[in-house]
Parts: sequence; structure tokens; C-alpha cells
Amino acid sequence: MSDEIQVDVQYIDDKTAIIHLEGDVTTFSEKDINDAYKAASDNDNSNIIFNFRENDYINSAGIAILIGVVTEARKQNQRLIMAIPSSHFQKIFRMVGLTQYADIYSSLEEAKAQI
Amino acid sequence: MKPPHTRRVVELKIPNELGYEKIARETVGTVAKRLGFDDERIADIKLAIAEACTNAISYGSQTDTRTKIIVVLTADEEKLEILVKDPGFGDSPPPTEVTVPDIHKMVEGKAKLGGMGLYIIQELVDKAEFIQSGDDNGNQFHMVIYRMNDEDIEFNAAKST
Repeated sequence: MSDEIQVDVQYIDDKTAIIHLEGDVTTFSEKDINDAYKAASDNDNSNIIFNFRENDYINSAGIAILIGVVTEARKQNQRLIMAIPSSHFQKIFRMVGLTQYADIYSSLEEAKAQI
Repeated sequence: MKPPHTRRVVELKIPNELGYEKIARETVGTVAKRLGFDDERIADIKLAIAEACTNAISYGSQTDTRTKIIVVLTADEEKLEILVKDPGFGDSPPPTEVTVPDIHKMVEGKAKLGGMGLYIIQELVDKAEFIQSGDDNGNQFHMVIYRMNDEDIEFNAAKST
């Protein structure tokens, strides 16, 4: 079922990496997301941008995976930024309190502009 | 010609295995679109049914793939009702109350990651509750989503006075 998500890491400078996600963020994506986060952190990047798409899907298991990333990012003193074009996604993130631990923007361009 | 105001019922049986909740998710998306819900509400309903099915698979059946989760969607002119039934083979009875997840405790490692499904469902639909099962020992989770929003209700109330 992990083929329901595509995760890619892009390094844009010596401090920032973007994790591009495409698909369903569920329990089946845990390894892909955690591997991508580790890869994004390998270069001591202090800014990690998660880039979601408009039509992506996330459930509570997917949110739990992201809370795990938040936990690790705090230990590493990293700044987490999330580009989330979907208003539904943003609502769910607010509902569970994720917005208190990551800066949320509506597009990747806006997110990159904050670096 | 079909009568304009009749109930529409869609019944699904999905394998008791994580991942198959996607079938219920896509089906309710199609039904909700036909009923005229907007995209935001459809996304809410799809997430709510997926969470309910995931709970049924994870806690109501010991993930025995020989058993099935039954999902019944009933639509009328007023509302969409969703019933998710599991075989009731889980280790514990369904929770009687919903706790608000404490993300701060999770981030600090003082609470287990997860346990947010019921809370999210409750926030997304108009009514959500476990109901008494019929003859068997299974669990039944019932959700209601009204087709009219608050503005429609106020508008109709004003019209009728």
C-alpha cells in the first residue's frame, strides 16, 4: 500500500530541504516519510519544508506520523514549514494543534519566501 | 419517472484489512457529490468514514480478514447517514467518550502518538456515536451529516414565518 504515496527530497540550499509528498498520507506512508525526513536532515538542514498537493489525503495515522517528525525536528532545532494548498488539510492541522509546531502556508512559493 | 424524495441506500462490505477503507472513502465521496455537498464538506465526510472504518478494522475485529466491515450509506432530502458495523471481536468495548488529543504531550513524549480518530470524526460530522448493536455482538458506529447548513436552515425558517 506504500505505493499510494510518492515522497521526494529536494535540497535547495545549504540550509533548506523540501520534502515533496504526493498521494495518501496514512499509516502506509510512515517509512517513506520518516526516511525522507532523515535524508532531509542529513545535511544539517535547519529548514525543512513539507510540500503537499491540493488533492492529497491525510488521516489521523498520517497526522501521527507528522507529529513524530515535529518531535524530532524540535530535538534538532529545525524549523518546520508546511506548504498546504488544501483548506481541508489546513483545517485538520489546526484541529489537532499541528499549526502550533509548524508554519503553514498555502503554496510552496509562499513557504520558500519565508526562508 | 422516479419520485423526487425517496431514500437512497448504498451498502458495502469491505475486507477487514487496513487499506480497504479507501473503498468506503471513494464511495461516500461519490454519494456526497450526488447529494450536492460542496468539496470541503465532501473531504470532511470522506475523512470521517475512513477514520470510522479504520477504527472498525483496527479495534473491532482483530484484523481477521475473513470477516467483513459493513458500511451503510442512507441519504434522504435532509441528511446523509453512515453506519459502520464491525464483527465485535476486539479486545475492549468501544469508548463511551471522546478525549481531545493533547499534541503537546505527544511531542514531549508523555502521550502515545495517535488516538485522534474519534475526535476528528466528532469535529467533522454533525452527529457521531456508537449505537446499541442488534442481535449480534458487533459494534455499530453511526454518523449523520445534514444537507442544509446553518444559513439554509435560518433562511427556510425565515421563509416559513
